[in-house]
Amino acid sequence: MFKKLIEESTGKSPWLFHINAGSCNGCDIELVAVLTPRFDAERLGFKLTGSPRHADIVVVTGPVTNQSLPRVLRAISQVPEPRCIVTMGSCPQSGNVFRGSYSVAGPLSKYVHVDVDVAGCACKPEAVIDGLALATQILAEKRRAMK
Amino acid sequence: MDIPFVREAISQLFSKPSTVLYPVVPVEAAPNYRGRIAYHPEKCINCGMCERVCAGNAITTVVEKTEEGDKVTRTFNLGSCTFCATCMDFCHGAIEFTTDYHMIATKEEDLLVIGTHIRKPPAKKAPPKPAAPAAEAKPAEAKPAEDKAAAPAEAAPAVQPRDDGKPVQDPSKCVYCTICAKKCPAGALEVDRANKTWKLDEDLCVGCGTCAENCPKKCIII
Amino acid sequence: MSLVMDAIKYLVYILVFPGFLFCFLSGLLLCGIDRKIVARMQKRVGPPVLQPFYDFFKLCGKETIVPAAASRTTFLLAPLVGLAALVVIQLFIPVFNFSAFSGVADIIVILYLLLIPALSIIMGGAASGSPYAGVGLSREMVTIISVELPLVLVLLAVGKVVGNAMGTGLCFSLTQIVAWQAEHGSLIATPSMIVAAIAMLMVIPGETGNHPFDAAEAETEICEGMLAEYSGAPLGVYKLSHAVKMLTMTSLFVALFLGGIGGGIDRMLLSWGLTGGAAGVIAVLIGIVVLFVLCAIITIISISLIHAATARLRIEQIFKYYWTVVTGLAVISLVLAWYGM
Repeated sequence: MFKKLIEESTGKSPWLFHINAGSCNGCDIELVAVLTPRFDAERLGFKLTGSPRHADIVVVTGPVTNQSLPRVLRAISQVPEPRCIVTMGSCPQSGNVFRGSYSVAGPLSKYVHVDVDVAGCACKPEAVIDGLALATQILAEKRRAMK
Repeated sequence: MDIPFVREAISQLFSKPSTVLYPVVPVEAAPNYRGRIAYHPEKCINCGMCERVCAGNAITTVVEKTEEGDKVTRTFNLGSCTFCATCMDFCHGAIEFTTDYHMIATKEEDLLVIGTHIRKPPAKKAPPKPAAPAAEAKPAEAKPAEDKAAAPAEAAPAVQPRDDGKPVQDPSKCVYCTICAKKCPAGALEVDRANKTWKLDEDLCVGCGTCAENCPKKCIII
Repeated sequence: MSLVMDAIKYLVYILVFPGFLFCFLSGLLLCGIDRKIVARMQKRVGPPVLQPFYDFFKLCGKETIVPAAASRTTFLLAPLVGLAALVVIQLFIPVFNFSAFSGVADIIVILYLLLIPALSIIMGGAASGSPYAGVGLSREMVTIISVELPLVLVLLAVGKVVGNAMGTGLCFSLTQIVAWQAEHGSLIATPSMIVAAIAMLMVIPGETGNHPFDAAEAETEICEGMLAEYSGAPLGVYKLSHAVKMLTMTSLFVALFLGGIGGGIDRMLLSWGLTGGAAGVIAVLIGIVVLFVLCAIITIISISLIHAATARLRIEQIFKYYWTVVTGLAVISLVLAWYGM
């Protein structure tokens, strides 16, 4: 019964951790917009945490610069299992307009397994909610697969 | 201590929340929202301008030779797109930005918009094949003199537009500034400033009209 | 035989009511109500009321990471110490005319026990070896110092008023205070106690570390301070103890100032013609419901409203606020109480 409670709860309480990997701030603002009264992601259980150790879903924005790459990987590795990685915007998926720059190490999928990509430059908050909801489902599946 | 928002907090407690219940209530994007790209390959004239103007290198083109003609596969990677719509501005109606913003993917292929069309070798190309090399060869042989001489001979008062949608130059107005050659996405124009030649490679030309649009003297007719 | 019965009775007290299970359920429910009300005050829909339960069970199912720099035993045991202390406090706080444990000076015991959850979080944070925890625990200590002074003064004022009335000088037994109120009406009707109650309402969010006074756990500035390195079940226990602390503080408020309702329940049952053991059980059941409703109302007034209306204070602002405004109110109430008002 306890296990079932945990499994049910995992899909209802995803906590976010946001990493800015050299983003232009467009996607960061949209992620914050998701938490504002208009979109209110908290009604779905989402909560922005301050520490990667508390998080379930890691949201990465930005093209993953050389400076940020080790920090991004370190922060992601500190997130306890089960975890889910969401890239937001075009930058972490491909580098976007920064692709080929001497200081860009991305895309992120070269280094870690990315679960959900949310496209858009910057993505609409509704699209972010869609992506996070999909990530939550993946999270619940991962929890079910554990043990 | 002054706490200014207490009254507002209490009044909000009894009023309706301003939240849009998004997953329950579907939300339409604004009319001119630039979301997922729709590509209509049948309208594509294969000028390649979209690929040239794309800031994020989101558009790639693969050309395969088949017996029916060149099979052109154009791929739009939404994961690399800035949704600036510059490609749409340059396109002749083949690229369209829809208001669909649900661009969620678990694998990279979900974010690709792929369109394929077959560019047939110009139908006229086969019959006037003997003529075409001649047309190419002619200006090459006799450079300025021939060109100047031939043009008035063909259309003395004004240059007549061609029926296959490809550009013609009016040598009387042309100043050989080479802008058309620089703008040509297919690299079909070759202009020599010193020798005052204007040469069109009909095989490469896609008839996009970029040269005519950009000609400062408006001496190219399409 | 009676020893065994007593043992079973105390085990039920500790594990079910008013011990662990009651704390767990009503604390998390209180936390959920708080979150919902804050969301509504901010014109949002807000999470479901059961959200803290989901959070807690989810955290139980997460991997627990112990940092390499941490001292393992302290790191993992500190949250349990804090939770245990809170459950013990809950045992001492009477639910109107029912109290699991009573003593001559249980207010002083509660005062000391209230420090333990804060100390446990400081202990765990210090054991985690994170610099964020270092900043957080220094702030937490300042918060304790700020809050503890007005809290002591308020409790002293309450003890003086009841002691004066009973002729014993000072009364530090919560059971006696509640019993006196059941007989003579709630203390909040007394002028000095109105001031004390206002001061206590201001103390509650600081003691629980809720929003404007959460500089120690500022998640946007210092990654939730002492909790920065916690993950999984220990973090869930900390979240639970935070919720239970809300219940403890609000039910302490009810016991101190609204204890007269217990007398009301008794008289109501008497008028229905209920006496004996059954009446006692029914009185306790009604008491639980009334206590929870009152706790929720106090949470909304003292925690949610201030949360929704203010921004986080800096640590020296918290200190200044508590040692001027709240301490001032507490001193006024103490002076009034001393002159028998």
